[in-house]
Amino acid sequence: MNEEVYRFNCYVENKPGVLARIVGLISGRGYNIQTLNVGPTEDGTVSRMKIDILGTARVIAQITSQLQNQVNVIEVTCRKL
Amino acid sequence: MRTGARALVESLEKAGVEVLFGYPGGAVLDIFNCLPEAKFNFVLGRHEQGSAHMADGYARATGKPGVCIVTSGPGATNTITGLATANIDGIPMIVITGQVALSLIGTDAFQEADTTGIARGVSKHCFLVQSADEIPQTIAEAFYIATHGKPGPVVIDIPKNCQQALTAAKYPERVSLRAYHPESTATVRQLNRLAKLINAAERPVLYAGGGVIASGAASDVAALAHRAEIPVTTTLMGLGSFDEHDPLALGLSGMHGSAAANWALHEADLILALGVRFSDRVTAKISEYAQRATLVHVDCDPASINKNVRADLGIVADVKDVLTTVSSRVKTATHPAWLKRIADWKRLKPLGYRPLHDGVIMPQAVVEAIDRASKGRAIVVTDVGQTQMWAAQYFRHNRPRHFLSSGGMGTMGFGIPAAIGAAFAQPDETVVAICGDGGAQMTFEEVVVAVEHRLPVVFVVVNNGCLGMVRQWQELFYAKRYAGSILGSKGRMTIERIDESALDYDYLPDFVKLAEAHGAKGYRVIDPAKLEPTIKKALAARKTAVVEVIVEPRANVYPMIPGGKSVTEMVFD
Ligand SMILES: Cc1ncc(C[n+]2csc(CCOP(=O)(O)OP(=O)(O)O)c2C)c(N)n1
Ligand SMILES: [Mg+2]
Repeated sequence: MNEEVYRFNCYVENKPGVLARIVGLISGRGYNIQTLNVGPTEDGTVSRMKIDILGTARVIAQITSQLQNQVNVIEVTCRKL
Repeated sequence: MRTGARALVESLEKAGVEVLFGYPGGAVLDIFNCLPEAKFNFVLGRHEQGSAHMADGYARATGKPGVCIVTSGPGATNTITGLATANIDGIPMIVITGQVALSLIGTDAFQEADTTGIARGVSKHCFLVQSADEIPQTIAEAFYIATHGKPGPVVIDIPKNCQQALTAAKYPERVSLRAYHPESTATVRQLNRLAKLINAAERPVLYAGGGVIASGAASDVAALAHRAEIPVTTTLMGLGSFDEHDPLALGLSGMHGSAAANWALHEADLILALGVRFSDRVTAKISEYAQRATLVHVDCDPASINKNVRADLGIVADVKDVLTTVSSRVKTATHPAWLKRIADWKRLKPLGYRPLHDGVIMPQAVVEAIDRASKGRAIVVTDVGQTQMWAAQYFRHNRPRHFLSSGGMGTMGFGIPAAIGAAFAQPDETVVAICGDGGAQMTFEEVVVAVEHRLPVVFVVVNNGCLGMVRQWQELFYAKRYAGSILGSKGRMTIERIDESALDYDYLPDFVKLAEAHGAKGYRVIDPAKLEPTIKKALAARKTAVVEVIVEPRANVYPMIPGGKSVTEMVFD
């Protein structure tokens, strides 16, 4: 399977340690983050993370499930760039 | 109003905690100061790793979260192995760590460590408490997270000033988390397809993992197996989910699994994988795994499906839910040709061993003796290594939560403290720890805890004078160069060492003296004829005991699928 760049849009609770957990989850499993952008949303208790990752469809599906498993992750969407 | 420390203890009581394991220190003294009035017992371990494994053993024996409290800095870092062990095996656990005051965090204060930072990768979730008011809610959320979805360990780091501050916060009646909703059920379509696959299969195999035990689905697996006549194999974590006395039982599969189990998986046309995660220890060479089968994978963790092997039908749901709802759609069936083929494999390659030297106990016989002496009822808690594999292979596992073993992490030092945790959880049961001489030395200090609390745990040390599993790999794959794997005073890098007469070994330490120094009864067995009588005697005494069995040092674990090889390349004795 060939690798392509996918963009994750991840809405997370704005709490200490969440960013570190998400980034650690991805890097700890050996996947490389190409771009990372974190910012507020209109709801101050929610942050949005944009994460671009190079991977095969299978790896991306795996990361999506892992992200959804996180206690502070509200919603994850993912699309090919 | 009461202090955060008292609010914590109250919250633990409300959460139903019966026993708290742990070790004190400066950053948790306010909490310890509340323990004399607590409604639960506190158990002082002798090393925080021991306390963490005790909490884990308690959880494995009951399904309820085990709870452990330690101080900041080194107390917290000492629990990391315990967290990793519980995390990978999906064991519910709560680890409470003290932290320096909020005002000191980031100043490299005395015994300050970034606990949540260190623990993140080896836990399901971590909390760093910011105020006393958060404590009751955080405890409730931690218990919820530890036990919902795939269970796992949760860390709660509590700064000292939050323990001391006053709060009126109450323990919540109910927990609902904004972002965490792990419950998921099978769709009707999935259930129909599953039933259709089962009803059409000619060579089906049920493949049960730790998730079957976690979801309480052992009886449902048995019901399905009998209804549709499907043979059952288990992973290491799944041992006990199906009675191995049952004719449909294939026993353990994977690297050291039975030939019948591995070949059945290899030739099956349908594999029903329940609560498993397809670790590399069970799939062997992944590209050749179960090529002929339609693979159904049921697991509560969406991330485990399609992670290591592709599933033709992946169902994210509770195993018990799926089995109870599908059962009415499954037709009764028989598979005589398939069962005959399996019976032939069992006859051709039964599990077995032959004595290597007259008068020398084979390690496998130790496990068989424990099985007989306990009438198959013991809660068997293992350490890691060859001895763990023999415990998996030669005990006839027959009920859930009676084989407790560090599967995913393979943590040496797990056995002794986990057995103690199990004994606290199930005081009326017979608990036997089966440890190698290497692993036993890693956490032997915890034996005093069993003595102190008068726990009738029998710690069996299978003494082969070496790090047997390492020695086995060196023998088979590293030209018999036994570097760093020989224990005892002559332990040095010599390649001839192992070929000397077995009884030429000098054994260090003396486990009988070690037992006695810890206040336990010590037995040593060298004579095969005394093996079972001694174990019986130790079990009957209902007192903490260490039984050191001097065994054949050259025994190897077979069958074996060498790393990176496929099932067809299984190696036998
Ligand atoms: C903490 C830890 N360190 C190292 C290992 C690697 N290891 C796996 S089995 C083993 C040998 C175990 O020796 P022993 O406890 O005597 O059991 P035996 O294999 O001899 O039965 C070692 C060192 C491990 N699993 N865990
Ligand atoms: Mg050994």
